[in-house]
Amino acid sequence: MKSGTARAVAVVAAAAFALAACTGGSAGNQSTGAGGASASVSGKPGGAITLLIGQPENPQDLVLTKQDLAKFTRQTGVQVKLNVINNDNLRTILQTQLRSGSGPDVFGYDTGPGFAGVLAKAGLLYDLTQTYQDRKWPIYDWAKQRVTFNGKVVGIPDQVEEVGVFYNKTMFDKYGLKPPQNVSDLESTAEKLKAAGVTPFTFSDKEGWEAGHQLSIVLSSAVGESGIKDLLDGKKPWNSPEVVSAIDLFFQQFKDKEYLPKSSNAITYDNANALFYQQKAAMNPTGTWLVSDIKDAAKFDVGFFPFPAPDGPGIFSGGLGGGTFVSAKTKNPQGALAYLDYILTKDHGKWQAEQHNSIPAFPIETQGLQVTPLFSQILADTSKIAGSGQSGEFGYNIDVLTTDAFNKAMWDGLQSVLAGQMTPHQVADSLEAAAKKSASGA
Amino acid sequence: MAGPSTGGIAATRRAQARLGLALVAPAVVLVVTFFLFPLGTAGYYSLTSWDGAPGSAPFVGLANYTEMLRDGEMWHALLNNGIWVVVGTVAPLVIGLVLAVLLWSGARGAVIYRLLFFFPRVLPSVVIGIVWGWIYDPLNGWLNRMLDAVGLGAITKGWLGDARLALYAVLFAAIWATFGFVVVIFLAALQNVDIELVDAARLDGANAAQRLWHVILPQITPVFLMVTTLTLVGGISVFDIVFIMTGGGPGNATQVLGTYSFQSAFQLNRIGYGTSVALLITVLSVPFVVILNRLQRRLALNETGA
Repeated sequence: MKSGTARAVAVVAAAAFALAACTGGSAGNQSTGAGGASASVSGKPGGAITLLIGQPENPQDLVLTKQDLAKFTRQTGVQVKLNVINNDNLRTILQTQLRSGSGPDVFGYDTGPGFAGVLAKAGLLYDLTQTYQDRKWPIYDWAKQRVTFNGKVVGIPDQVEEVGVFYNKTMFDKYGLKPPQNVSDLESTAEKLKAAGVTPFTFSDKEGWEAGHQLSIVLSSAVGESGIKDLLDGKKPWNSPEVVSAIDLFFQQFKDKEYLPKSSNAITYDNANALFYQQKAAMNPTGTWLVSDIKDAAKFDVGFFPFPAPDGPGIFSGGLGGGTFVSAKTKNPQGALAYLDYILTKDHGKWQAEQHNSIPAFPIETQGLQVTPLFSQILADTSKIAGSGQSGEFGYNIDVLTTDAFNKAMWDGLQSVLAGQMTPHQVADSLEAAAKKSASGA
Repeated sequence: MAGPSTGGIAATRRAQARLGLALVAPAVVLVVTFFLFPLGTAGYYSLTSWDGAPGSAPFVGLANYTEMLRDGEMWHALLNNGIWVVVGTVAPLVIGLVLAVLLWSGARGAVIYRLLFFFPRVLPSVVIGIVWGWIYDPLNGWLNRMLDAVGLGAITKGWLGDARLALYAVLFAAIWATFGFVVVIFLAALQNVDIELVDAARLDGANAAQRLWHVILPQITPVFLMVTTLTLVGGISVFDIVFIMTGGGPGNATQVLGTYSFQSAFQLNRIGYGTSVALLITVLSVPFVVILNRLQRRLALNETGA
């Protein structure tokens, strides 16, 4: 999933993962049914289910997923028909499919009010509240909240993520550069790279959501965890000077100084990543879902640092990314729930971390995990948000915590700044208007 | 001689009426099922603030329509539709007419050209959108590469990412996809043009443009109007190619009523408002269709044209 949420919860670093072994839960046989109405789900799972997922960044991940599904079928007898579509079409196609009743039984989708919340509001998601209780699924409480709408739990969070800046370590070493400790340090790094004929940042915004992530990391570092929380909670207006400055810094100044590729609005996410892999760009601001792809595609050492604050090294934005959901209209709830049981087993969690380089939203044993140094660093960082205690400051990824109307204003507005059609001030004003409108329930 | 009895006539008329009803019933069922019922449902939802959730659809009267009048984004989308209608109708007609006349005049390899021109028409819009998206790609697209190769690297850009150019870049792809259809239709119509009149005009000293305007065009006017109607209505209801290539962006630069309706209904969950915008598309299309159809019928009655 390309979206991550930052839930800066407390302390417990790596220990959080090492704690509590988890099981797939007992095979309870009651659940609440479609559209929130209570329904009985009993009997041995069988038959077939349809699973819809977005195209993984790394094609190898799809091979692994198919192998994993074959294993699930061997264990449960439930056949799985896998459908894979482009991530950027997932949002529109899925909604249309679910509304028409022709959607998948189970699907991967982003969490938060602007994504799964929209589906939940439309009654398109299977109510898992009772199933959670019956099967004692070991999802972190904070993650569970991200898939809870109007008191109903409607999904399984399946990925803890961070958003920050991947950088070409080899290239940094070559030019004597270090991860920047503040914004002015970042600018001098960018100038040196530019002088060496390298585009400092790869950055795409054709799809629109990339700019939301970028604003998240710039703003989180600028205002800190409490500052961004105040913005999200409506305690501070979105047209405050800090927001305007954050938009201005990256989307106006960095563009004008040519730290970004020409025409970011026309570059796709995949092509932006390709610029990084081809070493035409030195830094790639994105999320940890890309680690698996980086492992295979980058022929150089890669590091990861938070986007710096004006006066310090900054903080990562992080939290929950994607989740797995069941359609309210599934014809095989037993099969669908059996699949959820399966992906919540300890073994599956370990497999997910080692093979997909993604972090499940439930405790896993990290001792002895076979992972790359980059993913080890990310595991250590995200452990600060994944467990139950707080051990560090973390920013938030905005788009998974805000409404679809706010996200549209943010995505369209930031594209417009890059296109020279709006000023940072105007975008900040439109964000505040959208936030107010969303808060009023309009 | 005695005529048929009154009872017999009545029985015949009843039988004819039953036969008539039976014959018209399938069409009525189709029209009701696939046109009137959806139209009525859309009309109803446009008067509600339904958000897509099962259950109630609160009745809001004309609120969606009044909001539409105050909605700057809707007016921006309407303006883009206006540009699309004008450029997207005129360009394929002019290009199509000129090429059709050239092929009709006996150009060598006419069959091959006809096939080549018509080829885009058999491609789904989604494919056209994706392929042109690749062509316009700022990093790997061949348009920029070609410009680089001929020394025009200074004007390379992200064609779909530039708010001033994006709409026209998408329009260009749409025109490419449409003009071949226009060529083929015009070529068919040109087969009925009276060659003697064209030859007479030539003998009288009319040049090519004059022959086209004063002799050929009047004879194919009904077909010309039919093609105009199709391209014009296509411009008002355009959706797929814009959705695929830009999704209405960057910002809202390429937003048209179709994409705006879709976004409102299915991305912002405002089914009621989205339906109102969709109905606006219908309302805008109908007058053009009616006027052009009447004109076409009048010309046909006057035995003008092919």
